[in-house]
Amino acid sequence: MTFLIRTIDFTAAGREIIRDRVVEQDALTIGRAAENDIHLPDLAVEQRHVRIGRQSDGTLAVNALGTLGFGLDGRTVTHGVIDPRTGGEIALGAARLDIAREGNGNIAITIRQVAADEGKGDARRGFALASVLPSKRAMSWIFAGAIMLVLLMVPVASHLLRTPVKNDPKSDMPGQVLMDAAWSAGELSLKHHKLEDNCESCHVTPFVSVQDETCLTCHEELGDHARKPRLAAGMPPLSTGDALQWQIAETLGKEGPLGCVSCHSEHEGPLRQKPASEAFCSDCHDALDTRLTDTALADAHDFGKEHPQFRPAFYASFGAAKPVRASLDSKPVERSGLKFPHDVHMDARGGAARMALSLPDYGQPLECKDCHTLTADKVSFKEVRMEDACESCHSLVSDRTTGGGFSKLRHGDVKDLAQDLARINSGPRPALAPRRARPGQFAQGGAYAAEFGRPVRSFIGLSNALSQGGICTECHLPTVKQGRPDLMPVNLPDRFLTSGYFSHEAHKKEECTDCHAADTSKAATDLLIPDLKSCRDCHLGATAVKTKTIVPSSCAMCHSYHVPSGQWSSEGKEPHYSPAPGPAKTSIAAILGLAKP
Amino acid sequence: MATRAGGAKRFSQDEKRRDSDHVSFLRHRGFRWLWIALALSGVSLLGYALIDQQPRPNGGSWYGYTLGTIGLGLIIWLSLLGVRKRRINPGAWSLKAWTSAHVYLGLSLVVVGTLHTGFQIGWNVHTLAYVLMLLVIATGIYGVIAYATLPASLSANRKEMTRAQMLDALTAIDRQLESAAQPLGRDQADLVIAALAQDSFAGGAISRITGRYPRCATARALAGVGEASDAAARVHTLLAKRAEQLAQIRGALRIRALLEIWLFIHIPLTIALIAALIAHVVSVFFYW
Repeated sequence: MTFLIRTIDFTAAGREIIRDRVVEQDALTIGRAAENDIHLPDLAVEQRHVRIGRQSDGTLAVNALGTLGFGLDGRTVTHGVIDPRTGGEIALGAARLDIAREGNGNIAITIRQVAADEGKGDARRGFALASVLPSKRAMSWIFAGAIMLVLLMVPVASHLLRTPVKNDPKSDMPGQVLMDAAWSAGELSLKHHKLEDNCESCHVTPFVSVQDETCLTCHEELGDHARKPRLAAGMPPLSTGDALQWQIAETLGKEGPLGCVSCHSEHEGPLRQKPASEAFCSDCHDALDTRLTDTALADAHDFGKEHPQFRPAFYASFGAAKPVRASLDSKPVERSGLKFPHDVHMDARGGAARMALSLPDYGQPLECKDCHTLTADKVSFKEVRMEDACESCHSLVSDRTTGGGFSKLRHGDVKDLAQDLARINSGPRPALAPRRARPGQFAQGGAYAAEFGRPVRSFIGLSNALSQGGICTECHLPTVKQGRPDLMPVNLPDRFLTSGYFSHEAHKKEECTDCHAADTSKAATDLLIPDLKSCRDCHLGATAVKTKTIVPSSCAMCHSYHVPSGQWSSEGKEPHYSPAPGPAKTSIAAILGLAKP
Repeated sequence: MATRAGGAKRFSQDEKRRDSDHVSFLRHRGFRWLWIALALSGVSLLGYALIDQQPRPNGGSWYGYTLGTIGLGLIIWLSLLGVRKRRINPGAWSLKAWTSAHVYLGLSLVVVGTLHTGFQIGWNVHTLAYVLMLLVIATGIYGVIAYATLPASLSANRKEMTRAQMLDALTAIDRQLESAAQPLGRDQADLVIAALAQDSFAGGAISRITGRYPRCATARALAGVGEASDAAARVHTLLAKRAEQLAQIRGALRIRALLEIWLFIHIPLTIALIAALIAHVVSVFFYW
């Protein structure tokens, strides 16, 4: 067995010196001691370190002779096998022994000295994932910086640097603040959808909550439910958590539980404001009198169980300047200044019915709608106009005109009447024949008697018309004003129930007389407003069980928070406030509707 | 006497410490922080269920603010683990307890944070903070699983070699390859040069994680150098050894990458989360 031992050294100048020697042995020893076949002058090597022996199958067995191992192909072992055909490398101290078979079958052992492994730690660093990824610190700065810049600094800066614009609900106001859409906690309600990109229209001042004053720049027409101190006194105590939150919030400038936004919370999605629940109302109105001891309002919490009797607005004395409200339990007497027995007009067999039958405009007995026409909002009725509703029967015809028609006395103003009377040129109708009267009602003094004779000044005098028995007093009450005969002014409210909403449209399946006792009313002093009990035939509180006849009715069916005479509905077509609050500020409903109890 | 008593006391303290040294941070003190985290989540859920917030639950109710404050405090505290673990100084604090609390309280943030949102999700800075929080927690969960399972396979992959030895082994093979390849022709020699020249860590993060190295020069050389001659056969055998050694290194790289990758998301996203939280809180009160 021949080993070719080749030692490669370098001179100081870097020149390579190769020394070969041949050893004819079956085994070799390697170590620091000089007697070894391969002598390695290295303190890291043992005196007798390794023995390489040939085995029967042609491979080489490499064994450590002491307890210290050696490197074999990079691995530290105490014994190993090298197949000379593929070769192997033994590491001993700084020496690397490369073992391979030569072409002639000899085993070549090439010995090289390697430089100390400086910077090996650096190489080991390559195992860490950090060597192929950007540093965590850099990524952190980039992400955090981008978020702070785009989502905080840009909106804050553009908010602070903008020129505030006054809100105008009628125009499209583009937002001025950049990137603040990313701050929106949710979509705005349907009505505020236009403001989606204009956060600063509500969020006017940084770190100041949305103020009522800002809401009112657009919603100025909305009335208060009551004055703030009264509302606060009437409220039930808050829960501990709510109280604490409001305490903190108010310290920080929030407007408290009575501020607009505490009920009208925004960013809750594209929805409509829901009508207030019965609980929302009864929170305060149940046992309100215990907290608001001087209130004129009676407690209410459930329409079927506790609700005060209706208190319609009406004129309680002739010619009164203002309507009053009184409970229907007190059997109120209305003094509108008119005479009008509903029963006479509604009796299907009475004179009025007969008259109507004979008139082409009617053709059948009188019905309610012949005189009473619903307003567009279907809540109240249009003013009954004498010319449209009464004159077909209660004629004011005074003469024939030259063209063949009739002239009439004008209705409405006593001055007009005086002028018209002065123009009348007809006197009493002459008798048919001496001592012969016209028959029945057509006789002098009868209901259908008419005068077409020559004008007689004393007969047609204004005072006659206006005094008891005169034409005007068929319907009106005579009075004296500044020493002259006059008529009592007619006072009829355009709406009786001013703090609630009643839709006649919703009740059109009912007969008028089911609720209004008009067919039995003998005088205009009867207030024909149905009472609480009659409503309760069908309407009970929100918690009532719905049946064919019972309609569970929450407060919001008849009342709304800001406009007591209106109704808020979150469904169906707009407007959702009916009647829409606004111009009709002079109407009774509007005057009395803005309750200030 | 006093000394002996002191010694006994010290011995029992040391024993206690030695015992606790072998308890994982997950089981620390009989899952103390797990129970605390479960209690926090349970109480948060119960409160959420009991409060009927109108018109819908949101982070701006008093309960929402409470949950938000707890969440913010937790996030800041959890992120301080990075500071705590760098402070190797004595004190009445245990890094293990801190890590245990970090893991369990971090998990309870899923409940607290989600309830704070009131399940209102949108394209805004608030949801950004929430999503970042969930990503940080998800990577954290991955991290706990990785730390619990991967070190065993890392150890198995090493086969009693240190990382330095793996590199040494490769160098040893390379030296043999260099001399063994001397008789080869130009084409094959070029293949061997390319294999030797390629950094043993070549390949990006994706290669490390998947363990796929399509540009591996050693694999190419192995395919290109046949076993036609004795010399070629020897080079081929050496290349096969090299490929095997590389596979071990790459196995280590893969396990190491799987162990570390989550931190490259967890840490930057935590910092991003803190930035998003600042933007979230400031924006909420800026537009109050």
